[in-house]
Amino acid sequence: MSEKSSKQVMRISWGPQHPMSGQVRILIDTDGERVLNIIPDIGFTHRGIEKILENRNIVQGVVPIERMVMVDTANIALSYVRAAEEILGIEPPKRAQYIRVIICEVCRILSHLYGFGLAAEACGGYPAVFLWSTADREPFLDLMERITGTRWSYSFFVPGGVYADFPDKIKEKFLATLEYFEERLEAYRRAWFENKIFESRAKDVGILKPEDAIRLGAAGPNLRGSGVALDVRKDEPYEVYDEIDFRVITQPEGDSYARLMVRYLEMVESVKIIRQAIENMPSGPYRKFVSPLKRLPKGEAYSRVETARGELGVHMISDGGTKPYRIKITSPTLRNLYVVSQMPKITEVLLADVPVILYSFDPWYLDADR
Amino acid sequence: MGEETEKKIIEAIKSNFQDAIEEAEVLRPKRISITVRNNKMFEVARFLRDRLKFDYVLSVGAVDYIKENRFQVIYYLLSSKEKVVLMLRTNIPRDKPFTPSLISVWEAVNYHERETWEMFGITFKGHPNLTRLLLPEDWEGGYPLRKDFKLSSSEGG
Repeated sequence: MSEKSSKQVMRISWGPQHPMSGQVRILIDTDGERVLNIIPDIGFTHRGIEKILENRNIVQGVVPIERMVMVDTANIALSYVRAAEEILGIEPPKRAQYIRVIICEVCRILSHLYGFGLAAEACGGYPAVFLWSTADREPFLDLMERITGTRWSYSFFVPGGVYADFPDKIKEKFLATLEYFEERLEAYRRAWFENKIFESRAKDVGILKPEDAIRLGAAGPNLRGSGVALDVRKDEPYEVYDEIDFRVITQPEGDSYARLMVRYLEMVESVKIIRQAIENMPSGPYRKFVSPLKRLPKGEAYSRVETARGELGVHMISDGGTKPYRIKITSPTLRNLYVVSQMPKITEVLLADVPVILYSFDPWYLDADR
Repeated sequence: MGEETEKKIIEAIKSNFQDAIEEAEVLRPKRISITVRNNKMFEVARFLRDRLKFDYVLSVGAVDYIKENRFQVIYYLLSSKEKVVLMLRTNIPRDKPFTPSLISVWEAVNYHERETWEMFGITFKGHPNLTRLLLPEDWEGGYPLRKDFKLSSSEGG
């Protein structure tokens, strides 16, 4: 493949049983320390969600689609629910939209914390950071339990609104949790982002230039880590994101450190968004009832949602039945994995850098497999 | 109101490819759908990339219209400058499922074309590595996303 591969090329198979690989096998061709090829072999968790959704009505469909990304279920479900709402031509009540934004941003925090802990492990085995981030997810999971009834996999969004009202009496507890979390974020910055070891492992490793990021199709924080300010929440505001003041985080460097830094700063923004949403939430109804047996009008809708891993789209095509004729999900991790596979072609990658680069992209293989 | 950019894009495509475009419409703000004759896919794709700056590939998919005996291949494209999503569609007969691969125009379609190939049995001519992506290597069950694929569950069959 490469001009220097005339020497001995060794192929390393990483996963799918390796504890750090995830549900994936990654083939790595190396020439000494230098990596020539990274080939992600995905599909170990393919469940045919697109096909399943052709056999579910729009209320049932929320449950299987959430299985794509278990730490980020709200954002995934939202893209499906929004596509159904667009076909039906209904808009949920304002209060429901605020509740959705709160839950989506909590999911973004939960997801970033998880990915961030894994990345810390990949950067040289820092279980402490993983334990911290796991522990800091707890207060948010408790809050989610109060709102949705379950700690994760909420199935809480439904075409027309949300299943239950936001309990106003937990507002104070919510705000106190945000305050606690802001202190924790400060601790992460000191203990981790200013850590010499982390800097030496992640800085200047896996540099992705902005033009390559767009050409290869990097998604979400990985795109913004290369300085490209694309964020569906700003470009095409959905729900009430246009009524909320927040920044699109970008970092110009494009290395692994920058991608992780984007996620860190996005958590800071998410806290700001949640705080505004809680304070500005109007009172009123939280759901317009839509019967699961309602026939969908003939038509199509392509909804875009900025999930924690980047833009996810659901293209729903209806032929007039109660179930969609076809659902196409455009998955951010599938695009990100293609970028990972091309990294050795655009920058020098050493074998020891492969886990750092991979986890700086925050892959979620069930998202790619669907 | 608000759809100036979208209309301009459609005008530009229509005036340059009068006979290649079967349909072109603004579905809603920031959503464009164009249907192109299959033999003109290359020319239109290059035009979209070079002149209209649709530089980012979101995905590639297909729809099985079994009653009309056709597949529709859909490229989901995004313009990173205008932030408009364009669905580039082409219809191909169900019994001759071939369409040119657009990998020489957008490198990022690589995985998505492979997935569409294994799920629908649509061959992307010119794709350098049309191998299984999500299904097992020894899969012999047919093409799962075709409408005549039989599910083992009671509801699907």
